[in-house]
Amino acid sequence: MKDQRLETRVDTQTIKIEARKAQVYYGTNHAIKDVDVDIMDKTVTAFIGPSGCGKSTFLRCLNRMNDTIPSCRVEGSITLEGESIYDPRVDPVQLRARIGMVFQKPNPFPKSIYDNVAYGPKIHGLTRNKAELDAIVESCLRKAALWNEVKDRLQAPGTGLSGGQQQRLCIARAITTSPEVLLMDEPCSALDPIATAQVEELIDELRSQFSVVIVTHSMQQAARVSQRTAFFHLGNLVEFGETGQIFTNPKDPRTESYISGRIG
Amino acid sequence: MLNEHITRAFDRDLEAVQAMIMKMGGLVEAALSDAAKALETQDEALAEHVRQGDKAIDLLEESVNAECARLIALRAPIATDLRTVLTVMKIASSLERCGDYAKNLAKRALVLGTMSQIPGAAGSIRRMARQVGLLLKDALDAFVSRDAGLAAEVRLRDQEVDQMYNALFREFLTHMMEDTRNISACMHLHFIAKNIERVGDHATTIAEQVIYLATGSLPDEDRPKAELAGGNA
Repeated sequence: MKDQRLETRVDTQTIKIEARKAQVYYGTNHAIKDVDVDIMDKTVTAFIGPSGCGKSTFLRCLNRMNDTIPSCRVEGSITLEGESIYDPRVDPVQLRARIGMVFQKPNPFPKSIYDNVAYGPKIHGLTRNKAELDAIVESCLRKAALWNEVKDRLQAPGTGLSGGQQQRLCIARAITTSPEVLLMDEPCSALDPIATAQVEELIDELRSQFSVVIVTHSMQQAARVSQRTAFFHLGNLVEFGETGQIFTNPKDPRTESYISGRIG
Repeated sequence: MLNEHITRAFDRDLEAVQAMIMKMGGLVEAALSDAAKALETQDEALAEHVRQGDKAIDLLEESVNAECARLIALRAPIATDLRTVLTVMKIASSLERCGDYAKNLAKRALVLGTMSQIPGAAGSIRRMARQVGLLLKDALDAFVSRDAGLAAEVRLRDQEVDQMYNALFREFLTHMMEDTRNISACMHLHFIAKNIERVGDHATTIAEQVIYLATGSLPDEDRPKAELAGGNA
């Protein structure tokens, strides 16, 4: 029976990231209120919600990207495999090697395609020689479904690629450090439908190796790529559940109104 | 009730497809009642009218399916909207079957007109048809008002129809045993009773769909069924 099920179930019960009573303040503005979330391993989790609901803010908490905003304060507990990521002993740079990130707009470095992908392994000292580096670059470009399109011009500038290729280059760059979690903040909003489909297919493949958290404004994208969906509204986590349940039978009227395009 | 969609055309589309269901329901209720009346009063013209009228019901079902396909393709309905579209398609398919049963009743009414009468049978059939017509009406009212309570009640009331069918089954059996010349007429009458009983089952299906629409899950417990006469299906 299990084999005949639609692919909606979460494959693992292992919790990768656990947030409890997470709070984020920008100065006096309480942007995230009491958020409890379990991010499962080898699972795509989608964060949805209207603009300003806090979903990106919360996503950025997960690899301490909010550290760069001086007025921002994070409280509560967020743990990666049981260890607090806000522990003073944790080096944010090392943390971000374990929890990678892909942004809304493709932002390749103004370097060659090769150097874009080789950057992470170089600064983290993950390789001993050129051959190993070449192997990582190739394998990550393959995983990002970009290798065949760029293998003959690895020294060309990354910025010369099309938007969809640039975004896949950024994904290749994000996975060079073998992260355990990949955070994606609207990774397809600047892409055409074909590039979007390629990135979505890629997300589904990456799920076999690590967990993916994706913020998206497209309900259909959340429905297509994720196994679990969290709906944020005004800084609160309103509903968090299996994606199929959220999209066929949401429990909270606010979720229903939002996902079905109604005035809330 | 939920708010309006930001895209109001979406609301108009959903309303249009539900209006088609109500129109179908009206036609099916009328066809059933007219066919039973034609049987009792031996009104050939009315029976013929019911037979011809089934085309309109079939066409409406096609329109419902086409509109639902369009809605799914263009509006990507989710949550309650998705359940509405799914429910509408299933109800349309149930109503189409009910229309076929009414048409079949009308056909058999014409045939029975040429045979010797079974006393009281046509009256009993008509009472049963009226009962089932009410079930259908209440199931559709529950659909319009998204009333899971009324739908649950319809589901239980189908039992009464099953009992009426069982009583008729025994009655026809008795007539057939008493006089073999009654067999042809009683066979027709039995098929009619069985078909009306099937309409009751479709009313139950519709009621279950309404419960799904309103609550997000189908009722899981088996509904009570009246014992089958003589172990027959």
